[in-house]
Amino acid sequence: MNCEDLKRNFVEYWRGNLNAAELENFEAHLASCEQCRAEADGLKQIWSTLGEMPEAEPGLGTRTRFYAALRDMERRELEHPEMRSHRFWWIRHPAFQGAFALAILAIGIFIGNTTARSSGQVAQLRTEVNSMKQLVTLSLLQQQNASDRLRGVNWAYRAEQSDTEVLAALLATVNHDSNVNVRLAAVDALRNFADSPVGRRGLVQALNKQASPMVEIAILDQLVEMREKSAKPAINALMGEGNVNPEVKEHANWALRQLQ
Amino acid sequence: MRQVRDGDLGSMAVLFERHHRPLFNYFVHMNGNRDFSEDLVQDVFVRMLKYRQSYQVDKPFSAWMYQIARNAQSDAMQKRRFEVELGHADVTITHGTDEKLRRQQEIELLRRAMARLPVDKRELLVLSRFQNLKYEEIASILGCEVGAVKVRVYRAVRALGQIFFELSQRRMAAPGEEMA
Repeated sequence: MNCEDLKRNFVEYWRGNLNAAELENFEAHLASCEQCRAEADGLKQIWSTLGEMPEAEPGLGTRTRFYAALRDMERRELEHPEMRSHRFWWIRHPAFQGAFALAILAIGIFIGNTTARSSGQVAQLRTEVNSMKQLVTLSLLQQQNASDRLRGVNWAYRAEQSDTEVLAALLATVNHDSNVNVRLAAVDALRNFADSPVGRRGLVQALNKQASPMVEIAILDQLVEMREKSAKPAINALMGEGNVNPEVKEHANWALRQLQ
Repeated sequence: MRQVRDGDLGSMAVLFERHHRPLFNYFVHMNGNRDFSEDLVQDVFVRMLKYRQSYQVDKPFSAWMYQIARNAQSDAMQKRRFEVELGHADVTITHGTDEKLRRQQEIELLRRAMARLPVDKRELLVLSRFQNLKYEEIASILGCEVGAVKVRVYRAVRALGQIFFELSQRRMAAPGEEMA
Protein backbone atom coordinates (compact mmCIF):
# COMPACT_ATOMS: atom_id res chain seq x y z
CA MET A 1 0.00 0.00 0.00
CA ASN A 2 1.44 3.36 -1.01
CA CYS A 3 0.60 6.80 0.37
CA GLU A 4 -2.32 7.37 -2.00
CA ASP A 5 -3.89 3.98 -1.30
CA LEU A 6 -3.62 4.75 2.36
CA LYS A 7 -5.32 8.15 2.11
CA ARG A 8 -8.16 6.72 0.07
CA ASN A 9 -8.80 4.33 2.91
CA PHE A 10 -8.60 6.77 5.83
CA VAL A 11 -12.34 6.98 6.31
CA GLU A 12 -12.96 3.28 5.93
CA TYR A 13 -10.22 2.70 8.50
CA TRP A 14 -11.89 5.07 10.97
CA ARG A 15 -15.23 3.44 10.31
CA GLY A 16 -13.71 0.01 10.93
CA ASN A 17 -14.61 -1.25 7.46
CA LEU A 18 -11.24 -2.59 6.30
CA ASN A 19 -10.81 -6.35 6.07
CA ALA A 20 -7.94 -8.10 7.84
CA ALA A 21 -5.51 -7.94 4.91
CA GLU A 22 -6.29 -4.28 4.14
CA LEU A 23 -5.99 -3.42 7.82
CA GLU A 24 -2.59 -5.05 8.07
CA ASN A 25 -1.30 -3.21 5.00
CA PHE A 26 -2.81 0.05 6.17
CA GLU A 27 -1.25 -0.11 9.61
CA ALA A 28 2.11 -1.26 8.27
CA HIS A 29 2.29 1.77 5.99
CA LEU A 30 1.07 4.11 8.70
CA ALA A 31 3.76 2.89 11.05
CA SER A 32 6.47 3.49 8.46
CA CYS A 33 5.35 6.84 6.97
CA GLU A 34 5.55 9.86 9.23
CA GLN A 35 3.86 12.17 6.73
CA CYS A 36 0.81 9.93 6.36
CA ARG A 37 0.65 9.50 10.10
CA ALA A 38 0.56 13.26 10.63
CA GLU A 39 -2.17 13.73 8.04
CA ALA A 40 -4.18 10.82 9.43
CA ASP A 41 -3.99 12.29 12.94
CA GLY A 42 -5.12 15.74 11.76
CA LEU A 43 -8.01 14.49 9.66
CA LYS A 44 -9.10 11.95 12.25
CA GLN A 45 -9.71 14.85 14.61
CA ILE A 46 -11.92 16.54 12.01
CA TRP A 47 -13.80 13.28 11.42
CA SER A 48 -14.32 12.73 15.16
CA THR A 49 -15.51 16.28 15.78
CA LEU A 50 -17.99 15.92 12.93
CA GLY A 51 -19.42 12.97 14.80
CA GLU A 52 -20.00 15.15 17.86
CA MET A 53 -22.23 17.61 16.07
CA PRO A 54 -25.62 17.48 17.73
CA GLU A 55 -28.48 15.99 15.77
CA ALA A 56 -31.29 18.31 14.83
CA GLU A 57 -34.75 17.28 15.97
CA PRO A 58 -37.65 17.81 13.58
CA GLY A 59 -40.69 19.57 14.98
CA LEU A 60 -43.78 17.64 15.91
CA GLY A 61 -45.51 19.27 12.96
CA THR A 62 -43.46 17.11 10.61
CA ARG A 63 -45.05 13.99 11.98
CA THR A 64 -48.52 15.49 12.10
CA ARG A 65 -48.34 16.65 8.51
CA PHE A 66 -47.05 13.33 7.27
CA TYR A 67 -49.82 11.34 8.94
CA ALA A 68 -52.43 13.77 7.68
CA ALA A 69 -51.07 13.42 4.15
CA LEU A 70 -50.90 9.64 4.44
CA ARG A 71 -54.45 9.31 5.67
CA ASP A 72 -55.65 11.65 3.01
CA MET A 73 -53.92 9.63 0.34
CA GLU A 74 -55.25 6.34 1.67
CA ARG A 75 -58.76 7.71 1.80
CA ARG A 76 -58.55 9.10 -1.71
CA GLU A 77 -57.28 5.84 -3.10
CA LEU A 78 -60.08 3.96 -1.41
CA GLU A 79 -62.68 6.36 -2.73
CA HIS A 80 -61.15 6.74 -6.18
CA PRO A 81 -59.17 3.65 -7.12
CA GLU A 82 -58.43 5.24 -10.50
CA MET A 83 -56.24 7.73 -8.64
CA ARG A 84 -53.66 5.02 -8.30
CA SER A 85 -52.72 6.07 -11.78
CA HIS A 86 -50.32 8.94 -11.99
CA ARG A 87 -52.70 11.47 -13.46
CA PHE A 88 -53.74 13.13 -10.20
CA TRP A 89 -50.58 12.92 -8.23
CA TRP A 90 -50.02 16.66 -8.38
CA ILE A 91 -52.73 16.83 -5.75
CA ARG A 92 -50.30 15.30 -3.29
CA HIS A 93 -47.83 18.15 -3.41
CA PRO A 94 -46.99 19.03 0.23
CA ALA A 95 -48.03 22.65 -0.14
CA PHE A 96 -51.34 21.47 -1.50
CA GLN A 97 -51.65 18.89 1.26
CA GLY A 98 -51.20 21.42 4.04
CA ALA A 99 -53.46 23.98 2.43
CA PHE A 100 -56.04 21.31 1.69
CA ALA A 101 -56.14 20.08 5.28
CA LEU A 102 -56.54 23.61 6.62
CA ALA A 103 -59.07 24.56 3.97
CA ILE A 104 -61.21 21.52 4.68
CA LEU A 105 -61.12 22.26 8.38
CA ALA A 106 -62.01 25.92 7.86
CA ILE A 107 -64.76 25.12 5.37
CA GLY A 108 -66.13 22.45 7.68
CA ILE A 109 -66.27 24.81 10.61
CA PHE A 110 -67.75 27.63 8.51
CA ILE A 111 -70.47 25.49 7.04
CA GLY A 112 -71.12 23.85 10.36
CA ASN A 113 -71.65 27.22 11.97
CA THR A 114 -73.81 28.72 9.27
CA THR A 115 -76.01 25.86 8.18
CA ALA A 116 -77.64 23.06 10.03
CA ARG A 117 -77.45 20.80 7.00
CA SER A 118 -73.77 20.11 7.24
CA SER A 119 -73.69 18.53 10.67
CA GLY A 120 -72.80 15.21 9.05
CA GLN A 121 -69.81 16.74 7.30
CA VAL A 122 -68.54 18.31 10.51
CA ALA A 123 -68.93 15.02 12.28
CA GLN A 124 -66.89 13.32 9.58
CA LEU A 125 -64.17 15.94 9.83
CA ARG A 126 -64.10 15.55 13.56
CA THR A 127 -63.69 11.82 13.16
CA GLU A 128 -60.80 12.30 10.81
CA VAL A 129 -59.05 14.78 13.08
CA ASN A 130 -59.53 12.42 16.00
CA SER A 131 -58.10 9.51 14.04
CA MET A 132 -55.09 11.59 13.16
CA LYS A 133 -54.55 12.55 16.81
CA GLN A 134 -54.86 8.92 17.77
CA LEU A 135 -52.33 7.85 15.16
CA VAL A 136 -49.80 10.44 16.30
CA THR A 137 -50.28 9.53 19.96
CA LEU A 138 -49.96 5.79 19.42
CA SER A 139 -46.99 6.24 17.15
CA LEU A 140 -45.15 8.48 19.63
CA LEU A 141 -45.85 6.17 22.55
CA GLN A 142 -43.99 3.40 20.74
CA GLN A 143 -40.82 5.37 20.17
CA GLN A 144 -37.42 4.35 21.55
CA ASN A 145 -36.71 7.83 22.73
CA ALA A 146 -38.27 8.77 26.10
CA SER A 147 -38.80 12.40 25.09
CA ASP A 148 -40.83 11.22 22.08
CA ARG A 149 -42.94 9.02 24.34
CA LEU A 150 -43.47 12.00 26.63
CA ARG A 151 -44.74 13.94 23.67
CA GLY A 152 -47.00 11.01 22.89
CA VAL A 153 -48.43 11.24 26.40
CA ASN A 154 -49.04 14.95 25.86
CA TRP A 155 -50.86 14.18 22.64
CA ALA A 156 -53.08 11.79 24.57
CA TYR A 157 -54.72 14.82 26.19
CA ARG A 158 -56.19 15.67 22.81
CA ALA A 159 -57.77 12.25 22.42
CA GLU A 160 -61.47 11.70 22.95
CA GLN A 161 -62.48 10.03 26.20
CA SER A 162 -64.06 7.28 24.18
CA ASP A 163 -60.76 6.50 22.44
CA THR A 164 -60.08 3.04 23.82
CA GLU A 165 -56.88 2.56 21.84
CA VAL A 166 -55.22 5.62 23.33
CA LEU A 167 -56.51 4.59 26.75
CA ALA A 168 -55.01 1.10 26.35
CA ALA A 169 -51.72 2.60 25.19
CA LEU A 170 -51.60 4.91 28.20
CA LEU A 171 -52.29 2.04 30.58
CA ALA A 172 -49.58 -0.02 28.90
CA THR A 173 -47.23 2.93 29.31
CA VAL A 174 -48.04 3.23 33.02
CA ASN A 175 -47.37 -0.47 33.49
CA HIS A 176 -44.46 -1.14 31.20
CA ASP A 177 -42.57 1.99 30.17
CA SER A 178 -38.92 1.89 31.18
CA ASN A 179 -38.80 5.59 32.03
CA VAL A 180 -40.30 6.87 35.28
CA ASN A 181 -41.03 10.34 33.88
CA VAL A 182 -43.01 8.85 31.03
CA ARG A 183 -44.96 6.61 33.44
CA LEU A 184 -45.73 9.59 35.69
CA ALA A 185 -46.90 11.68 32.75
CA ALA A 186 -49.10 8.79 31.59
CA VAL A 187 -50.71 8.56 35.05
CA ASP A 188 -51.53 12.27 34.78
CA ALA A 189 -52.90 11.85 31.28
CA LEU A 190 -55.24 9.10 32.52
CA ARG A 191 -57.10 11.84 34.36
CA ASN A 192 -58.57 12.60 30.96
CA PHE A 193 -60.23 9.18 31.07
CA ALA A 194 -61.62 9.52 34.61
CA ASP A 195 -65.14 8.94 33.35
CA SER A 196 -64.24 5.70 31.66
CA PRO A 197 -64.86 2.57 33.75
CA VAL A 198 -62.07 0.84 31.82
CA GLY A 199 -59.68 3.68 32.61
CA ARG A 200 -60.54 3.63 36.30
CA ARG A 201 -60.21 -0.13 36.53
CA GLY A 202 -56.94 -0.03 34.64
CA LEU A 203 -55.53 2.51 37.05
CA VAL A 204 -56.55 0.41 40.04
CA GLN A 205 -54.89 -2.65 38.53
CA ALA A 206 -51.77 -0.65 37.70
CA LEU A 207 -51.24 0.17 41.37
CA ASN A 208 -49.89 -3.28 42.22
CA LYS A 209 -47.70 -3.51 39.14
CA GLN A 210 -45.42 -0.61 39.95
CA ALA A 211 -41.81 -0.71 41.06
CA SER A 212 -41.39 3.04 41.49
CA PRO A 213 -42.63 4.70 44.71
CA MET A 214 -43.15 7.93 42.77
CA VAL A 215 -45.53 6.27 40.35
CA GLU A 216 -47.34 4.45 43.18
CA ILE A 217 -47.90 7.75 44.97
CA ALA A 218 -49.11 9.41 41.77
CA ILE A 219 -51.62 6.60 41.18
CA LEU A 220 -52.83 6.78 44.78
CA ASP A 221 -53.40 10.53 44.42
CA GLN A 222 -55.32 10.01 41.24
CA LEU A 223 -57.51 7.28 42.72
CA VAL A 224 -58.37 9.55 45.62
CA GLU A 225 -59.11 12.40 43.27
CA MET A 226 -61.45 10.15 41.29
CA ARG A 227 -63.06 8.89 44.52
CA GLU A 228 -62.46 5.36 43.27
CA LYS A 229 -63.70 3.30 46.20
CA SER A 230 -63.21 0.03 44.36
CA ALA A 231 -59.48 0.64 44.74
CA LYS A 232 -59.51 -0.18 48.46
CA PRO A 233 -58.58 -3.88 48.11
CA ALA A 234 -55.70 -2.97 45.79
CA ILE A 235 -54.47 -0.32 48.24
CA ASN A 236 -54.65 -2.80 51.09
CA ALA A 237 -52.70 -5.30 49.00
CA LEU A 238 -50.06 -2.66 48.31
CA MET A 239 -49.69 -1.96 52.02
CA GLY A 240 -49.38 -5.67 52.70
CA GLU A 241 -46.41 -6.08 50.38
CA GLY A 242 -43.25 -6.89 52.31
CA ASN A 243 -40.94 -4.48 50.56
CA VAL A 244 -43.27 -1.53 50.27
CA ASN A 245 -41.62 1.86 50.60
CA PRO A 246 -42.48 3.49 53.99
CA GLU A 247 -43.60 6.71 52.31
CA VAL A 248 -45.83 4.80 49.95
CA LYS A 249 -47.29 2.87 52.88
CA GLU A 250 -48.04 6.09 54.69
CA HIS A 251 -49.61 7.58 51.58
CA ALA A 252 -51.68 4.43 51.03
CA ASN A 253 -53.01 4.75 54.54
CA TRP A 254 -53.99 8.32 53.85
CA ALA A 255 -55.65 7.28 50.58
CA LEU A 256 -57.69 4.61 52.36
CA ARG A 257 -58.90 7.16 54.88
CA GLN A 258 -59.89 9.51 52.06
CA LEU A 259 -61.87 6.79 50.34
CA GLN A 260 -63.83 5.78 53.43
CA MET B 1 -41.11 -0.44 0.99
CA ARG B 2 -42.11 -3.48 -0.98
CA GLN B 3 -45.46 -3.51 0.87
CA VAL B 4 -45.98 0.18 0.15
CA ARG B 5 -45.19 -0.41 -3.50
CA ASP B 6 -47.73 -3.21 -3.56
CA GLY B 7 -50.49 -0.93 -2.30
CA ASP B 8 -50.25 -1.03 1.50
CA LEU B 9 -49.76 2.72 2.00
CA GLY B 10 -50.06 2.38 5.79
CA SER B 11 -46.67 0.67 5.87
CA MET B 12 -45.15 4.00 4.93
CA ALA B 13 -45.72 5.02 8.57
CA VAL B 14 -43.05 2.50 9.64
CA LEU B 15 -40.59 3.88 7.11
CA PHE B 16 -41.43 7.41 8.19
CA GLU B 17 -40.73 6.63 11.84
CA ARG B 18 -37.43 5.00 10.95
CA HIS B 19 -36.12 7.49 8.43
CA HIS B 20 -37.65 10.93 8.90
CA ARG B 21 -35.13 12.05 11.52
CA PRO B 22 -31.99 11.12 9.53
CA LEU B 23 -33.60 12.63 6.46
CA PHE B 24 -34.38 15.84 8.33
CA ASN B 25 -30.75 15.99 9.50
CA TYR B 26 -29.54 15.43 5.95
CA PHE B 27 -31.49 18.47 4.80
CA VAL B 28 -30.51 20.61 7.79
CA HIS B 29 -26.85 19.87 7.11
CA MET B 30 -27.33 20.64 3.45
CA ASN B 31 -29.34 23.86 3.65
CA GLY B 32 -29.20 25.01 7.28
CA ASN B 33 -32.89 25.89 7.45
CA ARG B 34 -35.20 23.93 9.75
CA ASP B 35 -38.52 24.98 8.23
CA PHE B 36 -37.33 24.38 4.72
CA SER B 37 -35.98 20.98 5.80
CA GLU B 38 -39.28 20.00 7.38
CA ASP B 39 -41.07 20.87 4.14
CA LEU B 40 -38.56 18.79 2.22
CA VAL B 41 -39.02 15.76 4.51
CA GLN B 42 -42.73 15.97 3.82
CA ASP B 43 -42.07 16.33 0.11
CA VAL B 44 -39.80 13.28 0.05
CA PHE B 45 -42.33 11.01 1.74
CA VAL B 46 -45.09 12.20 -0.54
CA ARG B 47 -42.82 11.61 -3.54
CA MET B 48 -41.97 8.13 -2.30
CA LEU B 49 -45.67 7.34 -2.16
CA LYS B 50 -46.20 8.92 -5.51
CA TYR B 51 -43.34 7.16 -7.26
CA ARG B 52 -43.52 3.94 -5.26
CA GLN B 53 -43.70 1.90 -8.44
CA SER B 54 -40.16 3.01 -9.27
CA TYR B 55 -38.73 1.35 -6.16
CA GLN B 56 -36.61 -1.67 -7.01
CA VAL B 57 -36.52 -4.30 -4.29
CA ASP B 58 -32.99 -5.39 -5.12
CA LYS B 59 -31.56 -1.90 -4.46
CA PRO B 60 -30.98 -0.45 -0.98
CA PHE B 61 -33.97 1.58 0.21
CA SER B 62 -31.78 4.37 1.63
CA ALA B 63 -30.13 4.93 -1.76
CA TRP B 64 -33.53 5.31 -3.39
CA MET B 65 -34.75 7.63 -0.63
CA TYR B 66 -31.70 9.90 -0.82
CA GLN B 67 -31.95 10.06 -4.58
CA ILE B 68 -35.47 11.37 -4.16
CA ALA B 69 -34.26 13.70 -1.40
CA ARG B 70 -31.60 15.20 -3.66
CA ASN B 71 -34.13 15.78 -6.41
CA ALA B 72 -36.62 17.31 -3.99
CA GLN B 73 -34.01 19.70 -2.67
CA SER B 74 -32.76 20.60 -6.10
CA ASP B 75 -36.30 21.34 -7.33
CA ALA B 76 -37.11 23.39 -4.25
CA MET B 77 -33.89 25.37 -4.53
CA GLN B 78 -34.69 26.28 -8.10
CA LYS B 79 -38.19 27.35 -7.22
CA ARG B 80 -37.30 29.40 -4.21
CA ARG B 81 -33.86 30.62 -5.21
CA PHE B 82 -33.04 29.57 -1.69
CA GLU B 83 -29.88 30.85 -0.12
CA VAL B 84 -27.95 28.44 2.03
CA GLU B 85 -27.44 29.91 5.44
CA LEU B 86 -25.59 27.17 7.21
CA GLY B 87 -23.24 29.61 8.87
CA HIS B 88 -26.13 31.18 10.72
CA ALA B 89 -27.62 27.99 12.12
CA ASP B 90 -28.83 28.36 15.67
CA VAL B 91 -26.18 27.27 18.07
CA THR B 92 -26.41 27.45 21.80
CA ILE B 93 -23.08 27.58 23.50
CA THR B 94 -23.77 26.80 27.10
CA HIS B 95 -21.34 27.65 29.83
CA GLY B 96 -19.48 24.80 31.38
CA THR B 97 -15.94 23.71 32.04
CA ASP B 98 -13.16 25.19 29.89
CA GLU B 99 -12.71 21.85 28.13
CA LYS B 100 -16.40 21.58 27.34
CA LEU B 101 -16.53 25.14 26.10
CA ARG B 102 -13.45 24.63 23.94
CA ARG B 103 -15.02 21.52 22.42
CA GLN B 104 -18.26 23.37 21.71
CA GLN B 105 -16.34 26.16 20.03
CA GLU B 106 -14.52 23.61 17.91
CA ILE B 107 -17.81 22.08 16.84
CA GLU B 108 -19.17 25.52 15.99
CA LEU B 109 -16.06 26.30 13.98
CA LEU B 110 -16.43 23.02 12.13
CA ARG B 111 -20.04 23.83 11.39
CA ARG B 112 -18.88 27.08 9.81
CA ALA B 113 -16.25 25.23 7.87
CA MET B 114 -18.93 22.83 6.59
CA ALA B 115 -20.99 25.79 5.43
CA ARG B 116 -18.06 27.02 3.36
CA LEU B 117 -17.43 23.66 1.77
CA PRO B 118 -18.65 23.29 -1.83
CA VAL B 119 -22.04 21.61 -1.85
CA ASP B 120 -20.85 18.37 -3.51
CA LYS B 121 -18.19 17.85 -0.86
CA ARG B 122 -20.57 18.76 1.92
CA GLU B 123 -23.03 16.22 0.65
CA LEU B 124 -20.40 13.48 0.64
CA LEU B 125 -19.59 14.18 4.27
CA VAL B 126 -23.23 14.33 5.25
CA LEU B 127 -23.93 10.99 3.60
CA SER B 128 -20.83 9.23 4.89
CA ARG B 129 -20.47 10.77 8.35
CA PHE B 130 -23.91 11.85 9.50
CA GLN B 131 -26.06 9.39 7.61
CA ASN B 132 -23.40 6.71 7.97
CA LEU B 133 -24.16 5.25 4.56
CA LYS B 134 -21.94 2.60 3.03
CA TYR B 135 -19.79 3.57 0.08
CA GLU B 136 -21.85 1.27 -2.14
CA GLU B 137 -25.00 3.17 -1.18
CA ILE B 138 -23.35 6.55 -1.75
CA ALA B 139 -22.08 5.34 -5.11
CA SER B 140 -25.60 4.30 -6.03
CA ILE B 141 -27.02 7.69 -4.97
CA LEU B 142 -24.40 9.69 -6.83
CA GLY B 143 -24.30 7.35 -9.81
CA CYS B 144 -20.58 6.64 -9.65
CA GLU B 145 -18.16 3.87 -8.71
CA VAL B 146 -17.22 2.96 -5.15
CA GLY B 147 -13.60 3.80 -5.91
CA ALA B 148 -14.62 7.32 -6.85
CA VAL B 149 -16.57 7.70 -3.62
CA LYS B 150 -13.48 6.71 -1.62
CA VAL B 151 -11.40 9.39 -3.25
CA ARG B 152 -14.10 12.04 -3.08
CA VAL B 153 -14.79 11.45 0.60
CA TYR B 154 -11.09 11.68 1.38
CA ARG B 155 -10.84 14.93 -0.57
CA ALA B 156 -13.91 16.30 1.17
CA VAL B 157 -12.47 15.56 4.63
CA ARG B 158 -9.22 17.13 3.59
CA ALA B 159 -10.92 20.23 2.20
CA LEU B 160 -12.95 20.56 5.38
CA GLY B 161 -9.78 20.21 7.44
CA GLN B 162 -8.17 22.97 5.41
CA ILE B 163 -11.06 25.39 5.92
CA PHE B 164 -11.27 24.49 9.59
CA PHE B 165 -7.56 25.18 9.97
CA GLU B 166 -7.88 28.57 8.27
CA LEU B 167 -10.82 29.55 10.46
CA SER B 168 -8.91 28.46 13.58
CA GLN B 169 -5.91 30.55 12.55
CA ARG B 170 -8.11 33.56 11.99
CA ARG B 171 -9.73 33.11 15.37
CA MET B 172 -6.37 32.83 17.08
CA ALA B 173 -5.24 35.99 15.31
CA ALA B 174 -8.35 37.80 16.61
CA PRO B 175 -9.21 36.13 19.92
CA GLY B 176 -11.74 38.79 20.89
CA GLU B 177 -13.93 38.06 17.88
CA GLU B 178 -17.40 36.86 18.71
CA MET B 179 -18.46 33.39 17.60
CA ALA B 180 -21.86 34.48 16.32
